[in-house]
Parts: sequence; structure tokens; C-alpha cells
Amino acid sequence: MLALDLKHDGFPVPSDYFGVLWALSGIDDLIILEHGSTGTCNYNAFNYMIMNRQSPKGKLFSSGMDEDDVVMGRDTKIKEAVAELDDEYTPKVIALVATGVTSVIGLDLQGIIEEIQPATNAQLISFSGGGFAGDYHAGIKEAFRSLTNNIIKEPKEGKPFKVNIIGPTIDSFNINSDLAEIKRMLGLIGAEVNTTFTFSTDVDGVENLACASLNLVTRDIGIESAEIMKERYGIPYYYGLPFGVKGSIKWLNDIAEILGLELKRSVLRSELERYGFSVLELVNFLQDLDNLKAAISCPYEYALGLAGLMQEEWGIDPSLVSLPLRPDRQKMQSEFTRRKIGRVLIEPEGKELEEAIRAVNPDMLFGNSYDLLMAKDIAVKVHAAFPAFDHIYRYDGTPFVGLRGYAYLTETLINQLNQNPEVFRN
Amino acid sequence: MDKCLLLSELPLDGVLKATAAAKYPGQHCSFRAVAGTVPLIKNAYALLLGPAICLYNAKLSMNMRSLTRDPRPNNLLFVNYSQDDIIFGFHDKVREAILQAEDDYHPEVLFLITSCLQEIVGEDFDACVDKIRPLVNAKLLIVHTENFTCEGAAPGVENMFKSLFLLMAAQPKKEKTVNILGLWTSTARKTELAELLRKKGVVIENVIPSYCSPSDLEKAPAVQCNLVLDQYGLPLAKMMKEKFGTDYLYCRKPYCPDSIEKWYQEIAEAIDIDLSAEIEVLKRETEEMMIQARQSLSGKSCAVSGISGRIFDLAMLLFFLGIESKVIMLQTPLPEDQPDIQKLISSGVDPLVFRGDNSLKNEQLLKELSPDMFLGAFDRKSLSKMAIVPIVLSTSYYKLGFESTKEVLRLLQEMPAGLVALMYKEKTLKETIIAEGEC
Repeated sequence: MLALDLKHDGFPVPSDYFGVLWALSGIDDLIILEHGSTGTCNYNAFNYMIMNRQSPKGKLFSSGMDEDDVVMGRDTKIKEAVAELDDEYTPKVIALVATGVTSVIGLDLQGIIEEIQPATNAQLISFSGGGFAGDYHAGIKEAFRSLTNNIIKEPKEGKPFKVNIIGPTIDSFNINSDLAEIKRMLGLIGAEVNTTFTFSTDVDGVENLACASLNLVTRDIGIESAEIMKERYGIPYYYGLPFGVKGSIKWLNDIAEILGLELKRSVLRSELERYGFSVLELVNFLQDLDNLKAAISCPYEYALGLAGLMQEEWGIDPSLVSLPLRPDRQKMQSEFTRRKIGRVLIEPEGKELEEAIRAVNPDMLFGNSYDLLMAKDIAVKVHAAFPAFDHIYRYDGTPFVGLRGYAYLTETLINQLNQNPEVFRN
Repeated sequence: MDKCLLLSELPLDGVLKATAAAKYPGQHCSFRAVAGTVPLIKNAYALLLGPAICLYNAKLSMNMRSLTRDPRPNNLLFVNYSQDDIIFGFHDKVREAILQAEDDYHPEVLFLITSCLQEIVGEDFDACVDKIRPLVNAKLLIVHTENFTCEGAAPGVENMFKSLFLLMAAQPKKEKTVNILGLWTSTARKTELAELLRKKGVVIENVIPSYCSPSDLEKAPAVQCNLVLDQYGLPLAKMMKEKFGTDYLYCRKPYCPDSIEKWYQEIAEAIDIDLSAEIEVLKRETEEMMIQARQSLSGKSCAVSGISGRIFDLAMLLFFLGIESKVIMLQTPLPEDQPDIQKLISSGVDPLVFRGDNSLKNEQLLKELSPDMFLGAFDRKSLSKMAIVPIVLSTSYYKLGFESTKEVLRLLQEMPAGLVALMYKEKTLKETIIAEGEC
């Protein structure tokens, strides 16, 4: 039997409750009211802080449940709080979110909504998981599903070259830079972003999702919403992130084809000249990358993209890939088999990952703050995943995706190798 | 503004009415406070037993702390209380976790920190732990932290202090020794108080809970006196008095020179030493600094919130500096604040008091009052937007006596690094928005 993972060096995986909060927090005009003791809400000021020093102020509120509410199953406080928020801040949507306590006492949030919705201007929606319905990806999916089913309006008119980006939420690592690069790349073929679902949008943006011509899904947890929109509104979707030069050009050409647009040769030439420099253009003849090994500990899309970039463009062996959460669909895992990745771990316990890294003995590690702290002896360490409590990524000029992402990562790699030249001597 | 009271209108029980039904961020909970405190106990580990919501946040809080001047040792272990555990029982998992923590980390003490859920589900957690005790070498200390029963962290933190009582044993009395209860810092033995006591041959045996080991705590009752610096340590001091006869002095941290002088005199009296010569010098230095500070600070106004120690005594210090306290934001004044409150009122100082349940409303109030400074922890960007200078007093919290007040004086007069640039940005943004509106 595996020993219990007491998470001394790792972190307890955030629950569905967090996923719901993070999926909703990027939407202006939407207020989250959680039903629980204030301690839970107060704590969240901390966990938002580790995501680029964000704050839930003005976005997240607590009903301030107390002992009497728990014992009597009383719902007065949440009703009063809804009325106050509705009156003072006039949001378009108020989301009632269960905490662990609400779930255990079995308070029916949907029942409360049915009672108070007629007297409330804001549209009320509820999330009852309370932290017991899985990990944070489950919560994000639940929020996406609810917004897709309850908020999107029938499109009045289609916008031919407008695309939605489905998947980014406030917890997404490096999101400012990656989104900036995706938007820039779309601009290269004459496409524009309609709505980013749900990072940095508003209720109008969610309502107008169905006006777009294409959904670009950046995380597997967005596929369900994209499929609902495909079925309901006939909007096709394209799943995947552009990594590396080859991957980025393919991504651009694929999207251009779906939208009936074109990536012009002159544009492509200019991009390649500016951003397409190979590692061989940046190292000298005595710096040999051939024998370097990498470990990647990132969510599926980043892991797959980085592994491909390393194999195909840097010539570096991604000997170990670790996925902190299981990909949504089974066939996604086979992508790593196809790429002949030495070892793939899915949702490993802390000690299992530590031992695997020790066995592989990589020269570089791409991972979250805990991975990087654990792997003190690895020469090149790159923050590449959530949680990143000791790393800020607010500036939008450090993308991982797209052509500029390729250029940034390649430069970062070479600079770090130069700072740790012992890796060339092993 | 309509939900504010004047200090003179404060009800006798001190309880302030809620100012918002929808709260943000609200009071922090016992679980968080205890999780942040138990790492200070040496040779100890803590099993945090709760739902993923609480565990994830507890871990992150400690990680954020690890990046500061005052990091805490990494001795937290986590056991997720899942839905299955609620339905089928948590005992087996707790037992397994305790045995594993014992095997992997060999702690002298293993704290078992419960969350709201255990209390609501109603499993007899203590009985479960009693069955495990004979199987492990570690002393198992249970700390209950149910947060839904109160609005603050006090009961849980008091429980943490009280749990330490189980490590203590009767000891022969040692004259000229003290424990300090209620100081959370690794630098407690470098404070002015510690230095003065050392000069007089007084030994600080323990600073509880800061970096004392279980064996240190066993001998803690031997001291001549427990110096209790905050309300959280008081129940433990009372228990030690009752069981071991250990005297205690409840002496919360003061700010005004006269208050500090009295504070030192009471401490000196409790342990039969004479500090009068040292106090005289330190007090004179501080008063001279105050005269200097008054030149630059007099005529300014401020808001005060979340201060360590006697907040109303700090307001008095501000009054002496010529600074008007327009509002004091706090949750619940303590009964022992009454003398300071009365002193303020009788000096003609009658600020607003406001229970800040919703940060947006706090901002609205600050906008209306427009003080020059905000003392305490508050969103610095929001304050800068309102052209209010944020003064974070946290470095003074690690100091005791006149040195703490000197640090407050320094902080009041110095702009924090980066603030000039932040205020410039916010001012320029505001001007831009106004100009665009005019166009």
C-alpha cells in the first residue's frame, strides 16, 4: 500500500471550490458570494495573492455564516448579503458558492435562488460542490458549464473573423503574456478575439460568446463548453496551444484555414527573421546540447507543447513528464507515448515525483514553485506552472506560446545554460 | 459614515454592530492562526486535518511567509478530510497519518489541528486520538479551531496556548527568571525588554510560542513570573498559576512613553528588580524623538487599523504628536482597552470607530474622511489612489518597550520604498481619467 502523502514538500491540491472561484473571478459585473464562515474568504486573499498578486477584493464576499446558521440551517445571512450586493453594486450576475460547511449541512442554494430571484435584479446562479466535488479543474469545468448553459445568449449576428479563447482563468500560469501573444498571432492572419472565456472578460462578453466564428480551446477543461457551443450554435472549435516555430506556424495555418483567411508569406518571413532563431545560432561550437535531459512538470497542454519544442527544435530529451492533474480525455495521454517520452507520471504523489526526478537526473526542470524547491540540485530551473507563489508573471512580454514564446524560451534556456556551464561538462 | 460611532458612543460591552451583510475579507480564522503559530514550536510537527479548502490555503500562507523577514519552519503536514471521510469516518485516516508522521519525522510533539468540519460532523475526535496515544512516542496535542462558532481567531489560538499546558510539569521555583507569553518572533531575545532583563540578571526561560522546545516548556512553570503580552496567552498563564502557582503579569504592549514607563515599572516590580535608571534614559530619548517628529507630523491626520498591542494607547501617542486619528477600524475592543479609551476621551480625542466588514466600505469611508495617513495593513494601491500614505507598522511589532515607539516614529516619518512611484502613477492615472472625462 502506498504511504499517505502528507504534502510536507508539496501542496494539497486545490479543490473544486477554488476552481469555481477562479473561473468566475475573471468576469466583471459578476460577484461571488460564498456561504461560509469569513475565515474561508479571508484565506482567499492569500491564495489570490500567489497568482500574480491578484486580489478578490470587490469580487468575492462571504455571508459570514455563524454557529446558529449551522445548527439551525438558517439562510437569513446569505439572503441579506445577496440583497445588499444587488442593491449597492448592481452586478449582472451573483454566483452563490458553497463552502465545505454549507455542503455538509446540506443547505440548498438553488432553493434559495428560486425564492429570492424574483426580488433580485442580478441573475443568480449557484455552485454546490463546496470543495467535495473533485479538484480545481472539476470546479473550473463546472463554472464553464454553468456559464455556457445559463449566460450565453442567442447570437444576433455572426462575426466572421472573431474567435473566442476558451480556457484561460485567473489561475493560468503566464496568462498575460500568452494571451498577448495569441492575440498578436491572430492579428497576423487578420483574426480578432471576441471573448476570452473567462480570464479578463465581463458578463456581456460571456453573453456574446456565440457571436464568434471559432472557439480556440487552450485547456482541455474548456472542450466541454466548446462542444456545447458547437452543438447549439454551430461554432467549430480548435484545441491546442502553439509551441515552438513549427507548432506555431501549423497553429496559425490551421486557424487561417478554418476562418477562410491566409498567413501571408511576407508576414511569415518577417516573423521567422525576428523570432525564429535556432539554439544553434545562440551557442558556440563547444556548447553541445545533444546530451542534455529535461524534466517537465506542467499541466497537459504546456507539458505536451514543451516536450515537442524540446524534441523537435532544441534537440533536448524530455526524459520525464509529470502531469499534476489527469488530462480530461484518455487519448490525450497517448500523445506522450507517441512522442516516446521516457517516463510519464500522472498525478504523482510528492515522493514519487521526487524519486523519478532523482532517477532521471535532468539538467533542467520546468515546473511549479514546489517542484523547483524540491529539485535544488538541478542546474536550470524554469517556473512553468501553477502554483508559482515565489514568481511574478504580470508583465505581458514573456510568453511561452507562439513565435515570441519560442524566442523567449530559447533565449531563457541559453542564458540559464550559460549561467550553469557545468551542464556542458557532464 | 452612518455606521460609524464616536469612541465616546461605544457600547459598554464593546461590541460593534456589523457594518455589512456581505463581508470581505472578514476576520481570519483560528485554523489559519494556529497553522501559522505551531511551526514556532521546536521539535514539533503539526497534522492539519481539514478539507482541501483549508489545507491549500494554510500551505500557501506559510509559503508566502517563507519569502519574508520572518519565515516559519516547514513542519506542517496535511490530511485531507474528504466527503468519504465525512460519510464513513475519519478515524482510520487520522490514525494512519499519525503513525506515518511518527515514522517519517520523529517529532517530540505532534499537534493535531482540527477544522470546522470535524466539529460539525461530530465525530469524537479526542477519543480517537486517545486510542492512538499509546502507539506513538510523540506527545499528541489536539487543538480545536472551529471557526463558525465565533468571528475571530481568538478561541483557536487560546486553545493552541492551552494545549502547551499538557507539556508542563511542576518544577522548583527559579528566582529572577521569566517566560514571555504572546510574542511571535524569532527575535524576541533581541528586544529592548530582553536586553534590560539580561542586564539585571533576569533570564528569559521561554518565549511562548516562539521557538521553545517541548522540554523547555516542561520546565516553564519554574519561572518567577509569566509576562503575558497579549490576550491569547492569558488563559495559559491562568492555568499555570492555578496548577503550578506560577505568577503572571498581564501587560499588553504600550506605545506612549508614560505607558511604557508604567509597563516597565510593573514588570520590574513583579520580578523584584529596579529599572528606573534605564527607563529614565530611554524615556528621555523617546520624548526627544517625539519633539523632533512632532515638527513634521503635527497637523496631519490618520486612520488606524489592526495594530499589535494597545491600539488606543497608540492613538494617544498620535495625539501627542499632533496627529488627528479620524477613525479607528477594529472588530471588537477588549474590556482591558477601557482605561485607554477613557484617557483618550478625557483628553478630548474622540475619533470614529468602525467595524470594517467590507473592504469596499472601508475605502468609501476613507475617501470621505481623507486622512493623510493610514496606519496598519491595507491595500497600498487603493490608499495611493486616494493620496493616503500607507504606514505599515509591522517592523515595530518585533520590538518591545521604547524601541517599539521609536520604530513607530521612524515609520511615520519615512516614505516606504516604492511609494513615491506608486503614488505618482495613481495620481497621473486619476488626472488622465479626469481629463478624458472633460473631453
